[in-house]
Amino acid sequence: MSPTAVTRKTAARRSRAARGKVKPADVLIVGAGFAGLGTAIRLLAAGIDNIVILERGSEVGGTWRDNSYPGAACDIPSNLYSFSFAQNPQWSRGYSGSGEILGYIRHLVAHYKLGRLIRFGHTVTGLAFDAEQGVWNASLAGGGVVSARAAVMAQGPLSNASFPDIAGIERFKGHKIHSARWDHGYDFTGKRVAVIGTGASAVQIIPELVGKAARLKVFQRTPAWVLPRLDYSAPDWSKAVFRRVPATQSLVREVMYWAHESMAFGMIWNTPMTTLLQGVSSRFLRRQVRDPWMRRQLAPDFRIGCKRVLMSSDYYRALQRDNCELITWPIAGIVEKGIRTSEGLEHQVDCIVFATGFEVSKSGTPFPITGLDGRKLGAEWARGAQAYKSVNVAGYPNLFMTFGPNSGPGHNSALVYMESQIDYIVRGIGTILRQDLKQLDVRAEAQVRYNKGIQKRLATTNWNSGCKSWYLTEDGYNATMYPGFATQFKRQMKTFAQQDYRAL
Amino acid sequence: MNIDLDKMLAKVRSSQWALADIDWDAPGAELVTAEQWPKLKEFMSDLMWIEHVGARGFAAMAKKAPNDTLKELYVYFHAEEQRHANTEMALMRRWGMLDGEEIPEPNINLRLVIEWLDQHSDDMPLEVLGSVIPMLEIALDGALCKFLLDTVNDPVCHQAFARINDDESRHLGVGFHVLEMQGHGNLYRMALKAVATALNPKLMLGILAYLPLLNRMRDNIITMGLKEESLYSAMKKYERIGGRTAAGRRNPWFQIISRHGRLVVNRKHLYHRPVDALVRLTDHYPRRLLRPIPTWVKQLTYKTTA
Repeated sequence: MSPTAVTRKTAARRSRAARGKVKPADVLIVGAGFAGLGTAIRLLAAGIDNIVILERGSEVGGTWRDNSYPGAACDIPSNLYSFSFAQNPQWSRGYSGSGEILGYIRHLVAHYKLGRLIRFGHTVTGLAFDAEQGVWNASLAGGGVVSARAAVMAQGPLSNASFPDIAGIERFKGHKIHSARWDHGYDFTGKRVAVIGTGASAVQIIPELVGKAARLKVFQRTPAWVLPRLDYSAPDWSKAVFRRVPATQSLVREVMYWAHESMAFGMIWNTPMTTLLQGVSSRFLRRQVRDPWMRRQLAPDFRIGCKRVLMSSDYYRALQRDNCELITWPIAGIVEKGIRTSEGLEHQVDCIVFATGFEVSKSGTPFPITGLDGRKLGAEWARGAQAYKSVNVAGYPNLFMTFGPNSGPGHNSALVYMESQIDYIVRGIGTILRQDLKQLDVRAEAQVRYNKGIQKRLATTNWNSGCKSWYLTEDGYNATMYPGFATQFKRQMKTFAQQDYRAL
Repeated sequence: MNIDLDKMLAKVRSSQWALADIDWDAPGAELVTAEQWPKLKEFMSDLMWIEHVGARGFAAMAKKAPNDTLKELYVYFHAEEQRHANTEMALMRRWGMLDGEEIPEPNINLRLVIEWLDQHSDDMPLEVLGSVIPMLEIALDGALCKFLLDTVNDPVCHQAFARINDDESRHLGVGFHVLEMQGHGNLYRMALKAVATALNPKLMLGILAYLPLLNRMRDNIITMGLKEESLYSAMKKYERIGGRTAAGRRNPWFQIISRHGRLVVNRKHLYHRPVDALVRLTDHYPRRLLRPIPTWVKQLTYKTTA
């Protein structure tokens, strides 16, 4: 294609767009959390600045804006749970709390002047591809459409929280709080409180609430493997060193990265290290919990790594406080005054905290996505999502995803994975704009080939070893995790193989 | 007895009830006669403890279940047996048989069984517990509960046991299904495995605790006025249902337990001499050798709310 032809095509598109109502942006990004903002920063660095970020909330931060429950913190060290291109020497702790992480995200917005790109209160209700124009049209709640030549789905996998489907939940007359929608106005002092769930959020909430509530009842369905979290307060001198010599922070980050990478041996695959990690966790449980029956209640019966490993040094201690009770009977239902369990007792409480996690989309999409020839991504993914390198899906040209199918880590920082996805997306979008393509669509055969490899590798991982987890669909299909080291993931994202794409 | 475990799990989930569903202050408690009262107190206490140790048995089975559905069923059955024990305790309270907040004192044989369950039941293979539990269930369901309802006129007791019996019928359905499930496979290998399991010292200790408990319970129940024939027919029922398919009959543990059942109901058999001696011997078991009561026992309660 000659340069003159490109210019002519561009001119033609421009005149078509001019005839339309609004000129499409180059890129629209759904979500102003870590992924969306990170993508915007890297796009700007690549000289692409005609960007629109559509955010349904009134604040940036995504998961970290929503999860502000007491004790909310990241279970990956902050030096690793941050962008390598925007390190923060000021982290106050080894594992920072949600407030500090949100502060970091706000700092990113200010520093990279992203505010001008974000449209708050814009809830995307659907994305449809116009093949003729080569643009994605995002329809918005309350009307209106935003168009762009490329779209980035950065709404995050952990963004939809709702109360679980427990019989009688609507009958409860007390206060209900979801961990991801914390009610900061509710005073727990002297209250009888129930916490349903013992996952990643619960192990952070329980130690906080046990100090305030008169009685705390913790309802557990499945115990998880817990490892101590070696948190520390960052001394001023280390902050000063990081500030003055940023290479030192990069070095610390690198050490942490490789330490986490080594965990993959035990967490992802069943190796002697898996046994070792289980031994460490079991010993921790034995040392922390004196009562053998309680230890039995808290002992997982699946392989470590199969579900998310929890990091907490104060959860077990909190459970043994006099005002705390661990309840492992199945929940029979919720009634006006509390929770009934199957051993026949009604546990009457003033407030129920639902630390029951998120609706993670493993099959289907958060809103209808219509690709070429009217195909619907939700329908195609009904039995489990799949994509090419977690970023593109055949039949949906110019659409990119962060945290798409099979990009979840079980042992390392999600941001490491996200960064390499973002850089890949920037290369893809750069290709569309540079070559003035209407469509850059991954070839179906490349996607099938990629997924065959992924599923084959997943079959031998701990995630697929028999436990039920949010990583798997009801049929046991793993559309969530990446079966390998972060280093492998980064390497696969480094090359943008244009031969795997159909360019038009 | 082939049942659809998924449907059974859905049925169990939708059939949950709570102690608060029963009006414990409703009239009728006075229908327990003064003559009945002391024996009934002992009977109820034994019944409650049997339910409770059964509950612990299900907890152990949940750890061994070969699939998630069965595991979840056992988790529910563990809770339901506990609910039955709690309900029976609530009845005892209604009839003024509880000493304040205290849980009735278990006899020494129960203590030994509790201790064994606490220490070793999680190490037992599913086929052992999966074969014993239906036997205990059928004895409870077919003999003890029926006897209780024939003897006691309190309508609240009848109301409570209607619910308990509904639960127990599901436990039995699953119990016999699993019993048959365990009878599939190579007979020689199953027999060999059963011999190896029987030689496990932990199981031997369990048998040593279990045999005198059964004989003591039998004596207590008969003192109360239950006819031996009722127990006999319950045992026969176990043999009949468990043995009605080839797979059930091939399960070595079914064979062992049903044959043992025949010995238990035959009072004239020599079997009772050493076992009755064991009962007397356990009366002298030094209490200081007993471990502290495990905390799972302390979860028993007659209360409807907490």
